[in-house]
Amino acid sequence: MKQASSPLWPTLLGAAFLLTLTGVLHAAPTEQQWKTVNHALVTEHIIPRYQHLAESSNVLKNSTSALCQQPDQAHLSAAQQAFHRTMDDWESVQHIQFGPIENLMRNFSMQFWPDKKNLIGKQLNILLAEQDPATLKTDALYKASIGVKGLPALERLLFTGQLSELENNSYRCQLTSTIAAYIAENSAATVTEWQQAYSPSVFNAGSEDSYYDDHQEAAVDMLKSLVEPVEAIRDQKILRPLGNGEKVRPRRSESWRSERSIRNIQLNMASLQDLYEGHPDNVASLLRQQGAADQADKISGLFNDIIAQLKAIQGPLTTTLYQPQTVTQLQQVSASLKQLDLALNAAMKTLDIQLGFNSRDGD
Amino acid sequence: MMETNRRRFCQLLGSAFLLPSLLSEPVLAGANKSQTQPLFASAAQDRDGNYHLYLIGEQGDVLLDHPLLGRAHHTEAHPTRPLLACTARRPGRFIDIIDYQEHQLIKRIHAEAGRHFFGHSIFTEDGRWLITTENELSTGQGRIVIRSLADDYAIIADYPSHGIGPHELIQQPSSSVLVVANGGILTHPDHGREKLNLESMQPSLVRLDINSGELLEQQMLPAELHQLSIRHIDTNSAGITAIALQYQGDIGHNPPLVAIHHPGQALELISAPEPINLAMKGYCGSVRCDHSGRFAAVSAPRGDLISFWDLHEKQFISSIKSRDGCGLTATANDSEFIISAGTGRCIKHNLKTGHTSRLHQTIKTAWDNHLISIQT
Repeated sequence: MKQASSPLWPTLLGAAFLLTLTGVLHAAPTEQQWKTVNHALVTEHIIPRYQHLAESSNVLKNSTSALCQQPDQAHLSAAQQAFHRTMDDWESVQHIQFGPIENLMRNFSMQFWPDKKNLIGKQLNILLAEQDPATLKTDALYKASIGVKGLPALERLLFTGQLSELENNSYRCQLTSTIAAYIAENSAATVTEWQQAYSPSVFNAGSEDSYYDDHQEAAVDMLKSLVEPVEAIRDQKILRPLGNGEKVRPRRSESWRSERSIRNIQLNMASLQDLYEGHPDNVASLLRQQGAADQADKISGLFNDIIAQLKAIQGPLTTTLYQPQTVTQLQQVSASLKQLDLALNAAMKTLDIQLGFNSRDGD
Repeated sequence: MMETNRRRFCQLLGSAFLLPSLLSEPVLAGANKSQTQPLFASAAQDRDGNYHLYLIGEQGDVLLDHPLLGRAHHTEAHPTRPLLACTARRPGRFIDIIDYQEHQLIKRIHAEAGRHFFGHSIFTEDGRWLITTENELSTGQGRIVIRSLADDYAIIADYPSHGIGPHELIQQPSSSVLVVANGGILTHPDHGREKLNLESMQPSLVRLDINSGELLEQQMLPAELHQLSIRHIDTNSAGITAIALQYQGDIGHNPPLVAIHHPGQALELISAPEPINLAMKGYCGSVRCDHSGRFAAVSAPRGDLISFWDLHEKQFISSIKSRDGCGLTATANDSEFIISAGTGRCIKHNLKTGHTSRLHQTIKTAWDNHLISIQT
């Protein structure tokens, strides 16, 4: 006893101290590591996706304009196809909810959804009833209500109603083309701002003119884009259409008029997986470097499961949601998304990332 | 790299300070015997998900680390004695009264049967009473309950709040008037924090006589804005109340998020310029008037910004960025505030000079909704 209390005691204390030290140290990636990951995500994930959106929405603008010149079935189909490609690109970047897309309410303008009070229908009907030519300028749309500026309004105009309503360069057709032009303008501006102003702000986090105080803070925005959509997709795109167990509600699903609700979710999940592990310097590899390979693999497996589960679901939900098999399949996806949400939140703890305490769970 | 090392070193220091709290009885953690003056107190969540009440000194040192039973919300300081009252977040049922000089839990108040707290309690200006907002579960109606410090916090009065979901309450300075924010949102512990009446919610601001419970005034919002929950308030010495709102509808509607109330008059809703109002994302976390009483700070943690408002001119002045910033308190200087954030960061901002400085801290912890400055 006497021996133990003399020379060994400080050593034990020192060991305990070191243990505490490593316990704290292993949890946090370095600023350099965050900087590398942020750089990769901006250049390989975010900007290319906005570029695709700018390109496809420009095609959409041209095809709706051509439709008004020659309102036949072939031109309508071409415009509908262009709409689908634009929606594909939007759904592939919908998860990015920070940066230039927040400027001038662009995110709401691109897609006001879910529209629980049918704001879009009401405002669109007012415009179509009044037929005021002054509203047919993209400048006017900047001031117009968010309901009539975006992709959901365009979907109504292109996928409901008769071809005859678009003839003779009608107000309806010109409004379609004006909204498409507005979407193209917004998409182009978002890319330009990312390239010219926002990416330098991310890359130079900590400098005087950066929006971010350090690279970890910029990473919080990247990681919010990974984690937060999972619960939102589950709540808005799956559980709301499923209803409360009594009655299914297919018209609560996203893009039900163009019959692409499931495709949207597939694109969302593929994009989130790309953010997570699609490029050499990614979130998954950072987790592995923290000694959390188990966590990294589990998340990867869940992404694969969900994407496979979605692939098996038949559309369109406007008819298939009435089949018990589809309900069961969507419930499975919902359960997997819940697992993914939990796994991603656990990973944030490993990476020493606080996504938001008061912002996510305030009172 | 330098930055990271410094941060890690602080975390390490923090964990060293926390060590005694793990060993001692649940009540008090000795913390260090620093001689610095207390600066502010706030509830917080540590990295392991445990909840604490901290008292932070002027040097950013931890003067008190008190482990809490669960997540808390608001902390109040006694006007003359070294007491803090830390109230459980809804639907919690505890209030811890702590002597921060003796490092002792003086009293743990438990909500009565069939009741829970809403996260806020205040000491009256004379220091004799503690007043809480409470939920009466059998009726879903809000209650205002007064406890006497002289009688070991025995209940001496229990008034209706005249609304559902009363949240923050404030004593109008130098008066016997109590101002209460009835948030309007019905919740029941059986349903966790689920909001049960969003379609019919009817928030209100009421003014009551503390001594009798008499309703002096009740103001509602226009019918089309009934989903704007009146949640956090502060009242200056002129009796003008600044109100921070939380919208329960689609935030794309971009409603006003701040209101001003003059006694006897209707609520006046005010908006920031559109880009800022939108950036606030329909949600304000706290509001505090500055030392002069002319200006108010309103936090918008979902928008990562703090907005400043002129209560005389009834208009927005400016905003600053603060990621996950929520807790607000006035310093002893006019137009100056301390802002705490869920990221662990605290800043001091003077809206007249525009000067912002970061407060040094020896711990990294997620600061909860509200903080209070301690002026000794």
